Amino acid sequence: MTHTTQKWSLGFVAAFAAVALSACNSSTPAPTDGGTTPSGGGTTEGGTTTSARPAPSKAPFTVKEGEVIRIGLVASRQGELRPWGEDSSNGAALAMAELAADTADGDPNKLIIEGHEIQLVVQDSNSDPVQGKNAAEQLVNQGVIGLIGEVASGITATISDVAFSNSLPLVAVGATRTDLSAKGSHFFRVCYTDALQGPVMAKFAYEDLGLRKMAMFTDKAQPYSTGLSESFSAKFKELGGEIVDEQFYQTKDTQFAGPIANTKAKNPDGIFLSGYFNEVGPLARQIREAGMTTQPLLGGDGWDSDQLLTSGGDAIVGGYFCNHYNSLEDRPEVKTFLDAWKKKYNANPGTTMGALGYDSTKLMVDAVKRAIMEAKAANKPVDSMMVINALENTENFPGVSGAITLKGRNGDPAKRALVVEVTKEGQKFAKAFEADAVMAK
Amino acid sequence: MTGISNSFWPVRLASVVGVVALCFALDRVVLAAAPAQYRLLILASLFVILAVSLNLINGITGQFSIGHAAFAMIGAYTAGTLSKNPTFANMPPAQLLAVMTLIGALTAATFGFIVGLPSLRLRGDYLAIVTLGFGEIIRIVTNATESLGGSYGMPVAPKVQLLWWSLLMMAVCIALCRNLLKTTHGLTFLAVREDEVAGLAMGVNVTMTKVVAFVIGAAFAGAAGAILAHTEAFISPRTFPMEMSFIILTMVVLGGTGSITGSALAAVVLFAIPEYLRTLTDAQGKAYEMNAGLFMGVLIGIMIAVAASKWIQTNVHEKGKKLGFYAGAWLAVIPLGFLFQTILHLSPTLKQLSFGIDILRYAVFAVVLIALMLLRPQGIFGHHEIGWHWFRKRPAGATEGGAA
Amino acid sequence: MMSGLPLWADLSFSVLPQQLVNGLLLGAIYALIALGYTMVYGVLRLINFAHGEVYMLGGYVALFISWQFGFTQDALMQNSTREGSLLLLGLMLIASMLICGFIGLLIEFLAYRPMRNQPRIAALITAIGVSLLLQYAGALFLPNSPPPSISEKVNPYRGEWRITLSQPSGESVAALAAAKATLDQRTREFDEQIKQERSKFDLSPAGVAIRDQKNQADQEFNRAQTIVNGQKSEIVLPRGQVVMFITSILLMLGLNLLVNFTKMGRAMRAASHDFDTASLMGINVNKVVTLTFFIGSALAGAGAMMNTTFLGTPMTTFSGVQPGVKAFVAAVLGGIGSIPGAVLGGLLMGMAETLVVWLGYGSYRDAVAFVILILVLLFRPGGIMGSAAVEKV
Repeated sequence: MTHTTQKWSLGFVAAFAAVALSACNSSTPAPTDGGTTPSGGGTTEGGTTTSARPAPSKAPFTVKEGEVIRIGLVASRQGELRPWGEDSSNGAALAMAELAADTADGDPNKLIIEGHEIQLVVQDSNSDPVQGKNAAEQLVNQGVIGLIGEVASGITATISDVAFSNSLPLVAVGATRTDLSAKGSHFFRVCYTDALQGPVMAKFAYEDLGLRKMAMFTDKAQPYSTGLSESFSAKFKELGGEIVDEQFYQTKDTQFAGPIANTKAKNPDGIFLSGYFNEVGPLARQIREAGMTTQPLLGGDGWDSDQLLTSGGDAIVGGYFCNHYNSLEDRPEVKTFLDAWKKKYNANPGTTMGALGYDSTKLMVDAVKRAIMEAKAANKPVDSMMVINALENTENFPGVSGAITLKGRNGDPAKRALVVEVTKEGQKFAKAFEADAVMAK
Repeated sequence: MTGISNSFWPVRLASVVGVVALCFALDRVVLAAAPAQYRLLILASLFVILAVSLNLINGITGQFSIGHAAFAMIGAYTAGTLSKNPTFANMPPAQLLAVMTLIGALTAATFGFIVGLPSLRLRGDYLAIVTLGFGEIIRIVTNATESLGGSYGMPVAPKVQLLWWSLLMMAVCIALCRNLLKTTHGLTFLAVREDEVAGLAMGVNVTMTKVVAFVIGAAFAGAAGAILAHTEAFISPRTFPMEMSFIILTMVVLGGTGSITGSALAAVVLFAIPEYLRTLTDAQGKAYEMNAGLFMGVLIGIMIAVAASKWIQTNVHEKGKKLGFYAGAWLAVIPLGFLFQTILHLSPTLKQLSFGIDILRYAVFAVVLIALMLLRPQGIFGHHEIGWHWFRKRPAGATEGGAA
Repeated sequence: MMSGLPLWADLSFSVLPQQLVNGLLLGAIYALIALGYTMVYGVLRLINFAHGEVYMLGGYVALFISWQFGFTQDALMQNSTREGSLLLLGLMLIASMLICGFIGLLIEFLAYRPMRNQPRIAALITAIGVSLLLQYAGALFLPNSPPPSISEKVNPYRGEWRITLSQPSGESVAALAAAKATLDQRTREFDEQIKQERSKFDLSPAGVAIRDQKNQADQEFNRAQTIVNGQKSEIVLPRGQVVMFITSILLMLGLNLLVNFTKMGRAMRAASHDFDTASLMGINVNKVVTLTFFIGSALAGAGAMMNTTFLGTPMTTFSGVQPGVKAFVAAVLGGIGSIPGAVLGGLLMGMAETLVVWLGYGSYRDAVAFVILILVLLFRPGGIMGSAAVEKV
């Protein structure tokens, strides 16, 4: 038996060596100074979400004088959220190109602020929370001072954990789930939250459309959808309405005749579809086919895609949803943005995520700039905590999706929410709601 | 178990101490030398556990389970739920992780027993489908259960990342599977694989053996899941998709159905490839596009060369010609690599976006699976183990044995 | 919402006929795909995991054909004649069937034929590999896209047919009208109040009182409505889905004729009964296998074309997984290897899913397939119409 034991130990050694080798293979050009080294033998962290916005405790990531500053973007370039992910990273690229062209440093392709070159590094999350986390870890290894992303709440939750444990700021692009901002003082977003859009749609349904009995269709597989349904129904009931039915489906379902028949028996005045556009289109089509032809269809910003019309056809026309901005708005930011986008990509942005990706990138660069100034004044190297502070002190930053103020708002900016109507030509503005009127209670 | 020499126990004790020491040493070394890879190494060792434990079911006992991720999921959710309990929440991190690993393993083992007992009446592809269905049921039910966080997932506190612990569990898993085969109990596993009827005739309790294999495999998957939950501090149904089971299956099939070390090595390699590809990117994702395309191209080229070599081996008999053919096949790897790089560049996904690493990874895994089945269905190492004996001189006249 | 209530409190039996019809319509497509699984298994004893992906490719064929005729993303803007639309639909159906058939052939020839003498597990792993390859290599080259579209304006299959089963009694209708009048009155009062308070986001106490009154009237109205609904029962048949159903049934009847009344069909049955003996008796089994794969894949192609076009589901290369798995369960349920079994299994699967939704467990809809699968395999491994022997030891 003895020799077999020895033989065996080699097996271990081989396996261990292979493990160690894989580590060497994947070593990165990351500048591993004080900021990225774990503090001790095995890092341990306690605490989940609390309302007081816990602050990250690790030593911040520092960039020395004159070195490149990298900003990381996690985008769903693959998977079911691809139309959104593509727009968000295209928007970010457009913002970087514009900023680079604006700075008077001679080179229109490089963004240089106070001797620091600013670069955008993009990683793909494949529309998947776990891959999103890996992508964020990879960005941390590449040495980024802050993270931008994602378009969906589920993925943003995992990225936020990575950012928190590395003391990096995170600017979420389109993650509207309300409880995300409680994750830590490093979390900011450029979009509104479901605490706004759910109630806005409830108020719109109740007061403007005069609906009293709503049915809801919720995508059980999407945190976004369950959260939105919850906030919608709470406000709608508070206003005096009644939710007569809620049916559940899962992402990638195609046949909805069963749940629709159940809903139909409850005679709703209107139907709230809180899922993403991929399922909303066929759902709308089948609702109309099942004989519910008059009930208005309503939804959240998950509807926003130029694919909605193709998959929903005539059925979706006349539906209302909540959006971040409208391409027909008469504001200079919107016009400049749309012109620049058309020039660069030869088309209109397919979804709102283009504007939000653009806004979040500009906001992040602006915060980095302010952090650099602050560092210069204090004669210190710039670090990620300074960027967090700069973001926290943002006031009236002019964004395409409206002015962004983050000061004293726990990461959730006061944004306007627009209700838009789906028409054959695109989205028609219906009504605007100011955030403070809804949120202040 | 006759003939245990006097040096048996001291050697055994020494090797146990040695392994534990090695785990701690590696932990320290990694922490000092490559802290950024600390988490990735934990994940790699967890995949080794998953692959080796699946190999016990698929390779060694000859069953066919493709729902292994479900057991990891059960372990992870058990750990995530119980660590909220104040009894456990106040423990020191290392102790908590140990307790959670144990409980996760026990829960998964229970489920393994529940699934295993009735479904092992079935064989082959039917068993495969039952395990697949079981995995999906677990995932769908979790997705729909609000108290487990539903589709949003469950934050797990505290976050505990301990490489030495996962390495230790990996060692335990490998050692247990390997030592099992040396006992009479273990031989029954092989008997079930080789010929159930003959085994039955020789008095092997076939059902019992299958259930034991299932339970042990499930337990280690549960342990890996529990460690994963505390390493990542966040779990959701999407952490354990159907594809995860397929990845583990690929690891087992690639490494060799029945070879413990083979599947361990395959797990590490298959885990490392996509992580390596991630690092090829530069700021704009440009370099990645070129390198990943070439990398994948060469990989496919190598597989074609292996196929060609196999063909040459059986069809070309003249010695000089044979060598020339071999050289030609392997030299063709480089141009083939560039050819496939060009083809991959035609892909709109890769060309326009420079992304799509996960898709590329699965596509290549699929090619590996098909190629292996066509060329060497028993996997690269077959039933062989990697060990010292590879370097020992073979007795004259001994042939390479054990190939299926 | 519903979870707080006891299970039966919320059931509405007037919906049951509609749900059963929905189940049939859904099941027909499952049956169409299940035939491919069952035919291949019958002849080769191989679970063709890639069948779901053949189905997925069928959707893409339909998409590309519709693009060829100019029906791109602007579905609402397109003009076409009614005849043109019908012609295009026919073309899409035939192209999907033919091309899917050839894809099935190709898969068999390249991946499965070399594995024929290998252990079945090796063939199964190959099948999983082919399935993953088509999904992921497909994702590298095929677009994520909206479904194939035909002109909405002249789509002959829009709208629905209605069948009234029973009408509500005059008494309950009168009660409903009275309740409605009260409700309207209360609602008007409340609307007045709302108008006054419009500038604020939340209601004042006075508003809350009026709201509560209105809610009470609302509840009474609901009660009356429930009674009326309980007495009224109708079935709505969306035309598109009826067309799908009829086409599926026609295809299945065609298959039945082919298998039972032609020489090739007899060869198929012989090979399915005993592959080796059939080949010894002079049957060209390779030809039989080829034909089996062709027909099975063509049926999947037809299902894919109809499902994507009429239901409007956006397409990805992963959209074949779920229908594939469910159809496979349907095949096992009916008795894998048995052609009438697959049809029966598909219809039962559709029914089972719809009934679970009717019971209010929509979240668990996808789990039903697997629960059925496991139960069938444990208690009647041969399925409903199959031979009982799975694999004798």
